[in-house]
Amino acid sequence: MHERLSFYIKRDSLLHRLNPLTKLTLVLALILLAFLTPWYWIAPFLFVFILIPLSFIGKVWREFFFTATRLIFPAAGFLFVMQALFQPIGEEIIFQLYFLDATQESLLFAFRNAMRITVMVSAFTVFLLATHPSELMSDLTRRGLPGQFAYVIIATLQILPQMQAKAQTIIAAQRSRGLDTESTILKRASAILPLVGPLVFGSLVEVEERAIAIEARGFTSKKEKTSLHEIPDTPFDKALRWALISITVLSIMLNLWLS
Amino acid sequence: MAFVNIQNLTYKYPLTKTPALQNVNLQIEQGEFLAVIGANGAGKSTLCYALAGFVPHFFKGEISGEVEVDGIASSKSTLDEWVMNVGLAFQNPFNQISGAKYTVFEEIAFGLENMGVPREQMKHRVEEAMKLTGISNLADRSPYSLSGGQQQRVALTSILVMQPKLLVLDEPTSQMDPIGTREVFAVIRDLSNSGITVVMVEHKIEWVAQFADRVVALKDGSILMEGKPSDVLTSEILIENGFGVSRYTLAAREAKKQGLWKKEKLPVTLLEAAEGFEINK
Repeated sequence: MHERLSFYIKRDSLLHRLNPLTKLTLVLALILLAFLTPWYWIAPFLFVFILIPLSFIGKVWREFFFTATRLIFPAAGFLFVMQALFQPIGEEIIFQLYFLDATQESLLFAFRNAMRITVMVSAFTVFLLATHPSELMSDLTRRGLPGQFAYVIIATLQILPQMQAKAQTIIAAQRSRGLDTESTILKRASAILPLVGPLVFGSLVEVEERAIAIEARGFTSKKEKTSLHEIPDTPFDKALRWALISITVLSIMLNLWLS
Repeated sequence: MAFVNIQNLTYKYPLTKTPALQNVNLQIEQGEFLAVIGANGAGKSTLCYALAGFVPHFFKGEISGEVEVDGIASSKSTLDEWVMNVGLAFQNPFNQISGAKYTVFEEIAFGLENMGVPREQMKHRVEEAMKLTGISNLADRSPYSLSGGQQQRVALTSILVMQPKLLVLDEPTSQMDPIGTREVFAVIRDLSNSGITVVMVEHKIEWVAQFADRVVALKDGSILMEGKPSDVLTSEILIENGFGVSRYTLAAREAKKQGLWKKEKLPVTLLEAAEGFEINK
């Protein structure tokens, strides 16, 4: 069975029912708020009081916590340590590690950046968990995103696992004919290199056939396209989007005015 | 005038020396079921591309002659208009999956979305088409999780749902089991009876003999023979030119030499063979 390269979890929730553009606006608003305001508390605040509740509303908290503990926190933690030790700001040294020292300023700086990254990645994670990619794309296409652009995004998401499977097949086939896949790295690399050709050229041929196939189904038709799924866009969605945009713009202006 | 009219068609792919099609003349009536046979490289797929407008609109190269469908020449039309009347399904089902859709139902609706068919009508047409080809049970599956034969049915349905006037099929059953092949042939036969013109490249000669109205044998880009399946598929010319003919034909041909086959005509299918053989006691 081929694995899909999509995070989407099919559930019925308020978050799932929101219009994809509303969710995208929410994500962008969160990221802008975290990155463009100087306050240290804002990113942790957004994470605890917006993102975690959102994952519960969307009924995807289990998957979200899994991604957070396995991927987001370790990456943010690493970023925190690096920036705390290597950022040459501040005078008062809190602790030293050989020649590297962490000051109060560098710790705060690292904390803010790590939290900003956490908010950004978490926002996208919750978004992708609760939004069907083809729904997102057909909604954006309806709003004027070029169809070709949407196709490239969705098709890439679907075709990558297929290419991976094909690479496995080629390797398995060559292995059964004595390909060395277990000795030193150098030997393995030189043995694998000739196999890249068939994969790449094979994929190019496939691209031509796929182009014919979608062309045969009227992909470049100049008629106005319709969509199988109706993607709801309620007054609540519109109101929410305007509210999000207003909050973001206001807080950025407030921040400019204060500084 | 015939529904499909190919006149003096000669076509050469870019960077090749010999033409893929040479002086092809072919007329096909509306509602006719035409089968095309021939060895690899005989020009079968190129003929399909020419009918479906991909030669010359997609593949460049040198072309002379004319392909007309329903009175319109393909050279005077554009590809996106042409595909609305002429549907093409080809052999490799995997590459015919758009990649833009997550379920079979959505995949089949893809063409209708591009045509701008309203939503309710679209759903209805997709359901009907899936019923016709017997894949209603696959509606919610991912097109990538299907077997080759199932994918071929999806590819065929994706084209049928667009309701083309001319259906061009390049080995649409190559990955199907005998039961699947039979079902698909029966569906295509019904479509042809309802007035859709069908051109189908197919190696499975016994099925061709049972279902097609006419057979065209291609060799080196030219038409070697054409006529009724029972005439073409049993002809000496075909055997001399290295075409694969049915084993029943070959068996009866040998039997004829020994006087065990008394009929004038050689058989193509098992049934015809069973009826014709006489046993000398």
